[in-house]
Amino acid sequence: MGSASSPKKASRARAASTSAGSSSALPASVSGFTVLPVIYASSATHILYARAHSAPKHSDAKGKQKERAAALPEGRTLFLVNVPPDATERELTVLFKPCGTVERVVFSTGGGGAPQEEEMLEDESESEDDDAHESAAGSEDKDDEDVESRPKKKRKVAEPQAPRVVPLPSPPIRTLRRTGHTAYVVFLDSSSLARALKPPQKPYTWPVDKEALLGLEHYASLYSALRPPLDVVRAHADSWMEAFEYEQAKKKHESKYNKGEAIVDEDGFTLVTRGGAYGKTLGGGVGVASKRFHEDQSGAGSKRRRKDKKETKEKDAFYAFQIHEKKRKHIIDLKTRFQEDTAKIEKLKERRKFNPY
Amino acid sequence: MALNLKRKRGAQVAPKAKRLHADEDAISHHSSAEESMGSGSDQDAEEEAWDGIEGAAAHTHETSAEAGPSGSHIMKPPTGEELRKIKDASELFRSTSFKSQIDAMLPNVRPKYDKSQSLDAFLMSLHKLLMELPAVAPQHPLHASRTLSKKGIDVPYVRPFPTEETNWKVSFEKPSEIMLAGSWITKTAVKAKDSAPFTVDVAIEMPSSLFQEKDYLNGRVFQKRAYYLGVVAAAIAKAKSTLRCELFYESVSGDPRRTCLVLRPIPDDTHKSSSKAHTHVRIIPFIGESPVPLQRLSPARSNIRAAVLDDESKEEPTPLYNTAYMLMTTPKAHLLHIHALAKNVPSFADALTLLRVWANQRGYGLGSRMCVRGFEGKGMWWASILDLIVNGEEPPPAGLGRKGTKRKPLGKGLSSYQLFKAALDFLARHNFGDEAVFVKSRDGHRFPPSSYSSHEAVFVDATSSVNLLADVPLASLDTLRYDAQATLELLDHALLSEDAFAPLFLREHRDLFARFDVVARVDLSSVEMRAVSAQHVADHGSAYNAAVAQLVSTLHRGLGDRAKAIAVLHASSDVRPTSQALPTQSSIVHIGIILDSDHAFRLVDHGPPAEEQESERTRQFREFWGDKAELRRFKDGSIAESVVWDVKNADERARIPAMIMRHLLARHFGLGADAVQTWQTEFDTLLKLPDPISSLYQASSASVGFKSALSAFDALVKHFRALDDQFPLAVLNVSPVSPALRYTDVFVPATLAIPSRSALPKSVSYLPAMEIIIEFEKSARWPDDLRAIQKMKLALFERLASILMSAVKGLQATVVLGERTERTEIEDEAALDIITADGWAFRARIWHDREATLLDRIINDQPHVPKALRQAKTGEDARERQLALHARELYTRRFIHAPRHHRAIAALYHRLPAFANTVRLTKRWFAAHWLLRGHVSEEAVELLCAHVFLRTGPPLTADVATNARTFAPGSKERGFAQVIEFLKDWEWAEGLDIMLDNADQTAGDSPTAAPTITSKDVAWSLRTSFDPRGHMWTSSGPNAVVARRVTTIAKATWECLNGLENGTSSVKAIFHHPTDHYDFVIELNPALSTRYHQKLDADTSVWAPKGKYANAIARDAAASIMPSFDPFGMFYGDLAHVYADTVLLFHDSLGGDRIGAVWQPNLRSARPFRALGGFSSIPVQKDAAKGKEKDKGLVVLNESALFAEIQRLGSTLVARIAPRDTQ
Repeated sequence: MGSASSPKKASRARAASTSAGSSSALPASVSGFTVLPVIYASSATHILYARAHSAPKHSDAKGKQKERAAALPEGRTLFLVNVPPDATERELTVLFKPCGTVERVVFSTGGGGAPQEEEMLEDESESEDDDAHESAAGSEDKDDEDVESRPKKKRKVAEPQAPRVVPLPSPPIRTLRRTGHTAYVVFLDSSSLARALKPPQKPYTWPVDKEALLGLEHYASLYSALRPPLDVVRAHADSWMEAFEYEQAKKKHESKYNKGEAIVDEDGFTLVTRGGAYGKTLGGGVGVASKRFHEDQSGAGSKRRRKDKKETKEKDAFYAFQIHEKKRKHIIDLKTRFQEDTAKIEKLKERRKFNPY
Repeated sequence: MALNLKRKRGAQVAPKAKRLHADEDAISHHSSAEESMGSGSDQDAEEEAWDGIEGAAAHTHETSAEAGPSGSHIMKPPTGEELRKIKDASELFRSTSFKSQIDAMLPNVRPKYDKSQSLDAFLMSLHKLLMELPAVAPQHPLHASRTLSKKGIDVPYVRPFPTEETNWKVSFEKPSEIMLAGSWITKTAVKAKDSAPFTVDVAIEMPSSLFQEKDYLNGRVFQKRAYYLGVVAAAIAKAKSTLRCELFYESVSGDPRRTCLVLRPIPDDTHKSSSKAHTHVRIIPFIGESPVPLQRLSPARSNIRAAVLDDESKEEPTPLYNTAYMLMTTPKAHLLHIHALAKNVPSFADALTLLRVWANQRGYGLGSRMCVRGFEGKGMWWASILDLIVNGEEPPPAGLGRKGTKRKPLGKGLSSYQLFKAALDFLARHNFGDEAVFVKSRDGHRFPPSSYSSHEAVFVDATSSVNLLADVPLASLDTLRYDAQATLELLDHALLSEDAFAPLFLREHRDLFARFDVVARVDLSSVEMRAVSAQHVADHGSAYNAAVAQLVSTLHRGLGDRAKAIAVLHASSDVRPTSQALPTQSSIVHIGIILDSDHAFRLVDHGPPAEEQESERTRQFREFWGDKAELRRFKDGSIAESVVWDVKNADERARIPAMIMRHLLARHFGLGADAVQTWQTEFDTLLKLPDPISSLYQASSASVGFKSALSAFDALVKHFRALDDQFPLAVLNVSPVSPALRYTDVFVPATLAIPSRSALPKSVSYLPAMEIIIEFEKSARWPDDLRAIQKMKLALFERLASILMSAVKGLQATVVLGERTERTEIEDEAALDIITADGWAFRARIWHDREATLLDRIINDQPHVPKALRQAKTGEDARERQLALHARELYTRRFIHAPRHHRAIAALYHRLPAFANTVRLTKRWFAAHWLLRGHVSEEAVELLCAHVFLRTGPPLTADVATNARTFAPGSKERGFAQVIEFLKDWEWAEGLDIMLDNADQTAGDSPTAAPTITSKDVAWSLRTSFDPRGHMWTSSGPNAVVARRVTTIAKATWECLNGLENGTSSVKAIFHHPTDHYDFVIELNPALSTRYHQKLDADTSVWAPKGKYANAIARDAAASIMPSFDPFGMFYGDLAHVYADTVLLFHDSLGGDRIGAVWQPNLRSARPFRALGGFSSIPVQKDAAKGKEKDKGLVVLNESALFAEIQRLGSTLVARIAPRDTQ
C-alpha cells in the first residue's frame, strides 16, 4: 500500500463502518457483472466489476471484427469496469495473478477525455465495439503501454527500406485516465477467466507499482520527460521527416493518378474534380476553379444583374394608395411596438422592479 | 403663423376624407384630433409628421370600416388619441419603454394621498390645539426655560446661550397663522432613502408682536424662536391624550438655528392606514412680516457683533446667519411660488420627482447612510432648478459689467423627461464656483448680486430672498456635477446600454467604494482646528458644522486639480428627544475623492516663486502646508516654494492623494493617523509578495517590474532577429501573449539571475514562463500535412535552441514536447522554453497559418456537398474530426485571439491608468475564491474589467483629449468595487458586449465562423468585436453552477465592501474564502508547492530553512530551473480531468494549498449500474436495498475509495482529505 496507507484519521471511522459492512453484505453480482472488491487501504474498498468479454452480435464492419477477435479472444478475455484511474498494466497483472497468468491488458480509453466519451454509447456491447478500435491499435504495442507518445506513422512504414524513426524517450510515467473507465484483461487460458469471474473468498488487495511514480515525483519526472535533450529531439524530428518524405514519395509513386493527367474511368468518363492548389488536384483529373473563386465570380455578376433589375422595378411610392398603405403599415407598426413595450413593462412591474428604494 | 398653416392643412385633409367616404365617425374623430393638435406643441417638424399620420389615420379608418367585420381580427390602426400618446412617448421621452417605466415608477415614490384621512384628522386637532394656546407673558429666557424643563422640554436655545445678565425677554402668543407648507401640500413630495417617512410641514407664524427691531442681532431672534418652539412642544406633550404622537426636535443640517418640532403620529388601532401613509409632521415657526429692515439682512452684513465674542477684530459678514434668518421668512412665499409653478407647468411635479429620485439614489438628500453633505432640506433648491429652466435667469442690474443672461427659458411645454434632462444638463455644465445664479423673480433683485461675494456658491431663489446653496460646500456641488455629467454621458451613449432607466433611477449609487477613487473614514471626535475665528464658528451655528465646512474647503484647496470632486459624507441628521436642546452628530464622516488621473499623481505642487518671499501669498502657502513647504530650485532654473511628495514605487505614487489628505487633516485639524482610516495600503499588500520573499529578491539584486519584463522580451526579440543568417526562416513577428507582458499579472514580475536562484527555497521557487508567439516568414517548404507540421516545429525549435544558446551567453533553451504524456499529433503542442541570463523565462510557440486550413479540411471535408447530403461520419473519421475540432479551437485561441487580446488589453493600460491594477486586484479576488484559471480564465477577467472601464466613457480613440471626459475609475480600489458591483447584478445569461478597441480588426482577418466544440453549459458570453460569439475565453468555464457561484460571492463581497464603511469588516475578509460549503477539502502539503509565497497570508515558516545545513538543499537548484513547474496546479488539473464527472473542484491557483470539491449532485443517490457510468461506484448493500429494486443493481458513489484514490494519486502532495463533517 505504501504511501497510500497514510492515515486519514478523521474519515476513518465513518469509512470503516461502510466498508466493513459492505465487504460482507455486498451482492455477488450486479447486472450480470461479478463484483470484485479490492482493498485500497484499511478503510477503503474499491469495487471492480467483471464479466467475460463477448464479441458484439451485430456485424457492421466484418474485417474489423475479425481483427478485434484476434486482439480480444473470446473465452479468455475479462471485461473490467471501474478500473482505478491510475492503474497500470503491471498493477492489473499482479492483481489477477492468483487467478492465472495475464497475457496483456487493454485499456479502453486513454487520458484523452471528452471526444471519446461522446462516442461511448449506453449499450455496453456497442461500446465494446468502440473499445475494439482502440485495442486494434493498442494490441500491437502491448509490450510498452506508453508508446502512445510514439508516432503512429512508424507502424505503417513497414517496408524494410523505409528510414527508421528515432523514438523520443518515454520513461515509465503513469497515464491518468478518467475515473470509472474500462479495461480488458486477456488471460493465457480460459480457466483463469473462470477463476477470475468467481466471487473471491477474500477481497483482492490493490498492488501499487513502486516504479511508476505518483505525487510530486510523478510530476517532476513528467516535467523532465517532456523536455528531452536537444540532440534526441533533433534526431527524432529529422528521422521522422525523412520517413514522412519517403512515404510521400512512395504514395505518389503508387498512386494511380498523376498530376495533370485526366482520369478516365472504364466507361470513358473523365473525372472532373475541384480543389487543390491552383485548381488542380494532387492526384490528377481535370481541374475546375475552386468553389470560392467560382462563387466570387458568380456573386459579383449576379449582384450587378440584381441591380439592373431593381431599376426596372415598379415604384413603390407612386400611387396614392401605396403611400397610404405604407403609412398605415408604419403606424400599425408603431402601435404594435408600443403595445409590446407596454407588455414588457407590465411584466417587469409584476416583478416589482420599479420600486427604486 | 404656425397655427394658420395648420388650419389650412387640416382643411385640405378633411374634404379629402369626405371624398373618399363620408364616414361621420372619421370626421368627428379627425376634428377632435385636430383640436388636440392645436393645443399641442409648436414645432413645425412635428406638425409635418402629424399631418401625414393624421391623413393616413382617417383613410385607414375608413378602409377598415369598409372591410367589414370579417377584417376585425386584423390589427386595427391606432386612433388619433393613441397615436398621440405613442408619438409623445417616443419623441418626448426618449423611448416608449422609457416613458412607461417612468410611469410605473412615479406612483411608487409618491405619498398615497388617498390614504391620509387619519393624517387630516390629526392635523385638524393639531390646528385646534395650537390656536387655543394661551399667551405667556414676557419673562427672562432662563427663567422661562426653567419652567419648561420641568415639563421635560428643553428649550433649544442656540449659542451664545442667554445668561442671567441678558436684558431681553421671551414670550408666547398663539400663532397668527397656521398653514401647511412644503412639498406635501404642493403634491411634490418624494420618498426619501432608507424608508424615511414623508414629512408634512406645518408652518406656524409667530406674531410680529413678539419681536423687536434689534432682534436680528446676535441670534436673539433665534432664541425667541426656540422659546416659541419650546412652548408649542410643551403644549403638545401635555395634550398627549387628544393628540397621540411622539415628539422630537430636529435640526436641519445640524444647524441649531433651524431646529423644528417633529411629531410622529402613533397609529391607533382603528386607523391602520395612518401607519401605512408613513408620515410625520414637522412644525416650523416662521415670521410673516420681518420686523427688521431688509438691508440689515443682506448677505454681506455682519449681524453677530464682536462684542459678544471674545474676538473684537473687524466685522466679518455672517452669510449663514443671515441666510438662516431669511429662511425663517420664506415658507409662505415659497409655497405660493411652487404652487404657481406646478399649476403653470404641467410636467413640473413629475420632473421634480424624477430629479429628486435621481438625486436621492446618489446620496443628495436624506438617508441614514452616506449622504453628501449639504443637501438636507434642499427641496426648494431642486424645485428652483426646474424653475430656472422654465423661467430663466434674472438679469444682473444694469451697469454691472456682465452681459445679459446666457440661459434662455425653455418654455412650459416640455415633458417631464425633457425637463429632467435639462436640469441635469444645467447641473453638469454649470460651475457654481465661478458664477452666481439668480432665478427669474417678479420684482428683480432684492439684494445686489455683489453682496453674495462671501458665499461659495450662489443660487438665489425666485423670491430673491435666500441663497439656497449658502451652506452647501463647493466640493459637494463638484460631486453633483460629476454625477450629472456621468448620467448625461450614459444617456447619450445609451445605444450600448439599451436599458438606461435602471442605472438612472432604480439603482443605488451611494456606495463609497464604487463611487470614489479614494475613500477615508475620519473620526472627528478629536478634531482641533488650527486657525479658526470665533466668528466663523458662530456663523456656522455649531462647532461641528464649522469644522466640517473648514475640512472640505481645506481639502479642496490642498488637492486642487488632482481631484475632480471631493465629498464629505455622513448620515443625515436625525431627530432627537425634546429633552435635548442641541443637535448631536456622529463623529464619523467619510471623505470621498474622485481623482483626475491626469494630475492626481503629480509629485510636486508649486507655490509662489522665491522673489515673493515676503509676500502674503508665500506666508499663506507656508501656513497651509506646514513643514512640507520648502524652497526648491527646479530644472528650468526657477526657485519657488513647493511641496514635494516623495514616493519609492508605483504603489506609493498611487497613494499621493491620500497622503495629501492625511497631511492636511493632521496639520489643520489635529487628526492623527489613528483618526483617519484608508484602505489603499491593505489592498496593495494583496498584490505583493510577502516581505521576507521580496527582501530575498532585493538582496540578490533581482530585476523587478513589468518594464524590465518587457525589456527582457524586447532583448529576446532582438536576438531572434539577429539569427537571420543562421536560420533557414526569417522571424517575421514575435507577439507577447502573457499577462506579465501586458501589466495585468497579479504579481509584479520579478526574477533572479540564474546563479542566484539557488538561494530561493524550493517552495517559493516558482518561475512563470511568459508565452510568446513566433511567426516566421512564409515559406513553400513547409510540409502539407498536420503531423509533419508538428514535427517540423520540433525541428525548428531545436535549431532555434541550439543557435540561441551558442549566440547568447548565459541563455538556456529547452524544447517542450507538450503538456502531458500522450500526443494528439495534429494539435499544436511543442514549445520552446527560454531562460535568459537575467533569469526571465519565456515559452515560445510557432504560428503557422497553414494549420488552420488543413484542420478545416478535416472538420469539413465535403465543402461542396450540401449539409443534408453529407455522409454521417463513423468510427475513425468521427474521432479524427473531434480531434481536429479541438486542435482548431486551440489554434484559433492561441494564435488568432490571444495576440489580439493582448494588444487590446495592453492598449488599455496606456489609456486608463487604473485599469491594469484593477485587473490585478480582480484576478487576485477570483483566485482567492478558488476560481481563477480552474474556472475563470485570466483573459475573461481582463475582459470583464475592460467592460467596467469602457462602459461609461466614449469608445476610446487614440487622442488623449477625449479621455479626460471618461468616467472610468481612477483608482484600483474603485475599479475593483465597480467590477464586484457589476458581477453582483450581471445577468450573465444575456451575455455581455465589450467595446474593446477595434482598430485592430481591419488589419487582421475577419472573425472566422469556424465550427467549435463549446460545450452546452458555457455560462458567460463575453462578446467583443473580434469574438462575436463571446465564448473564446469562457469555453472552458465557468459553467452555470460556477457562474451562479460567482454571483453569490460577488454579493457577499459587496456586503463586505459596504461593511468596510462602518468598520464592521476588513479588506482581508473580502479575500477570505470560506470552505464550509465544500463536500470535502483536500489539504496539500505546502512545503511541496513551488508558489506557496503567492498565497494570501502565507506562513513564512514553510519556506524557512530546515535541517542542519543551510546549504544542503541548494545543491541541485542551480542545475535545474523549472519554469512554470507547479505540481499543485498539475495535480489539480489531473484531478479535475480524472473526476470531471464526479466532483467539481476548486483551487486557488496563486499558491493555494487546498482543493475544495463539491459532488455532482445527481451522484448522491443510488442509481442503476451502468458499465460506463463514469464514476467510482459501489453496489448498494443487499439488506439496505428494497426487494423490488434488487435485481436492478443499484450502485452509489464509493466515497471512501475515492478518497483513498486521491490520497494515492497525490502521494506526498496530499496532507489530508477532510470531508465536510470533519472540517
